[in-house]
Amino acid sequence: MTEVIFVSANGEKTTVEANAGDTVMQTALAANISDIIAECGGAMMCATCHVYVDDDWLERVGKADEDELTMLDFASSEVKPTSRLSCQIKVDDENSGMIIHLPDSQL
Amino acid sequence: MALAPLDDEIAISELISNPYPIYKRLRAQTPVLRVKSIGRTFITKAADTRPIKDNPELFSSNDPNTPMQRAFNAHTLMRKDGEDHMAERKAMMPTFSPTNLKTVWSPAYEKLAHEYLDRLPRNEVIDLFPMLAGPLSASILSIILGMPDATDDDMQFWSQALIDGAGNFAWADEPFERVDRAHIAMDTYIAKQAEILKAEPDQSALSVMVNAENPIAYSQIVSNLKIAIGGGINEPRDCMLTILYGLLTNIDQLEELKTSGNWSAAFEEGVRWVAPIQVSSRLVMQDTTIRGFDIPKGDVVMTIQASANHDEELFEDGDKFNALRKRTPHQSFGSGPHHCMGTHLARLTIGKLLLPLIFERFPNMEIVEPENVKWWGFGFRGPLNLNVRLN
Ligand code: HEM
Ligand code: FES
Repeated sequence: MTEVIFVSANGEKTTVEANAGDTVMQTALAANISDIIAECGGAMMCATCHVYVDDDWLERVGKADEDELTMLDFASSEVKPTSRLSCQIKVDDENSGMIIHLPDSQL
Repeated sequence: MALAPLDDEIAISELISNPYPIYKRLRAQTPVLRVKSIGRTFITKAADTRPIKDNPELFSSNDPNTPMQRAFNAHTLMRKDGEDHMAERKAMMPTFSPTNLKTVWSPAYEKLAHEYLDRLPRNEVIDLFPMLAGPLSASILSIILGMPDATDDDMQFWSQALIDGAGNFAWADEPFERVDRAHIAMDTYIAKQAEILKAEPDQSALSVMVNAENPIAYSQIVSNLKIAIGGGINEPRDCMLTILYGLLTNIDQLEELKTSGNWSAAFEEGVRWVAPIQVSSRLVMQDTTIRGFDIPKGDVVMTIQASANHDEELFEDGDKFNALRKRTPHQSFGSGPHHCMGTHLARLTIGKLLLPLIFERFPNMEIVEPENVKWWGFGFRGPLNLNVRLN
């Protein structure tokens, strides 16, 4: 079983079971994590699925590539070196348990 | 399983005058319904509309049997999928970058908005459609696209001609003849302007596209601009009027926003309440099912975001304008790869700039005879008039 741990901007922690192969965005929507909006449904067109990968997990999860960074420019909350679009992160056995911090706003 | 039920009663005229009671009934009784008058399968529940647009392999935008191709004289990005779509969309994207929105288009819009507001007379009844919403929306778009010498009237005429042509499902002659005349004028001006922008580049869409390192074909540059002309004036215009109508007929909400300054909430509520683009069509690529009904390959499903935005499962009293409602995502900007390119631009210019500006300038603006506001449209929808008195 794979899982993702979401931490909201005010520190609230939610552990969610995830289907391996789903994206972090899909996992969040399925669990009604409302801090992820994902207006474009994962097409990397909207930047409303912006998250920060926990420092300790960044290496395993990976950083944003160039296309993703271009789109991240549209994010409403500050973009940091740990910023990712959660529709571009797939959950697998390797990164199961990853800690994902949610920004305070997506719009 | 069986095909979805077939309706032969819903008339186009009813949908144009007020589709919302019909959608309410369909959501409750037949959320997947083949509608004979439109020749499409209506999908009216929010839980069904979005996944369709998020799945372009199964539900393609490439529907050859619409009048759009004839109207645009081109196969445009809106009707392409995959790599081709991405390449054409990306070509225009730098113009809409956050940096450009903040440093170039935002000041340009503010200046224009002041100019148009300055011209509005006080203490008489005026219609904000022709006096503000139409021309201001046209004017900012002409600048962003790199066509600054086109007049507001030109832009609005071209836009309407493209829309009427693309929506000409009756395949009548007049709309196509009108759009052909518009093409001649647009093509001449764009060609001249392209040369000017090659010499003096700026951040406009035409400039960014012709000066790109690996430009897309010139014909595609032109059709990208035309998509933006056809799709970048009426939605800001219609939602501007819808939001003003909503606020002016709900003064308690307006007063609260004047205090809180949360004008973005009014913007989102306006585009949710009456989605400027009400429906989007997708071509079914493989036999599939929706809510247990067979949806055969070759069928065209119409995802009705106007209905999704009123879905009882997501919105309480969705048929009422309430700028103070709990923020719940709507589908007015579409979803998936074709998610609106102008989303951030519209949010910024209308929600963050125009609304505060207009109520700062005219804090006691009054709506005149709101019962005479005429709402119109099935594919696109908005008020045809909005009479107010400014003081
Ligand atoms: C409130 C204002 C607006 C609304 C509600 C709106 C709505 C939409 C919707 C629903 C779509 C998707 C259509 C589909 O899925 O088939 C779309 C696409 C598009 N919109 Fe907007 N729009 C607005 C303003 C603008 C503006 C100001 C521009 C300026 C250039 C613009 C440019 C585009 C373009 C280029 C596309 C096609 C994107 C693609 O096919 O990849 N829109 N819009
Ligand atoms: S869902 Fe839109 S960019 Fe990720």
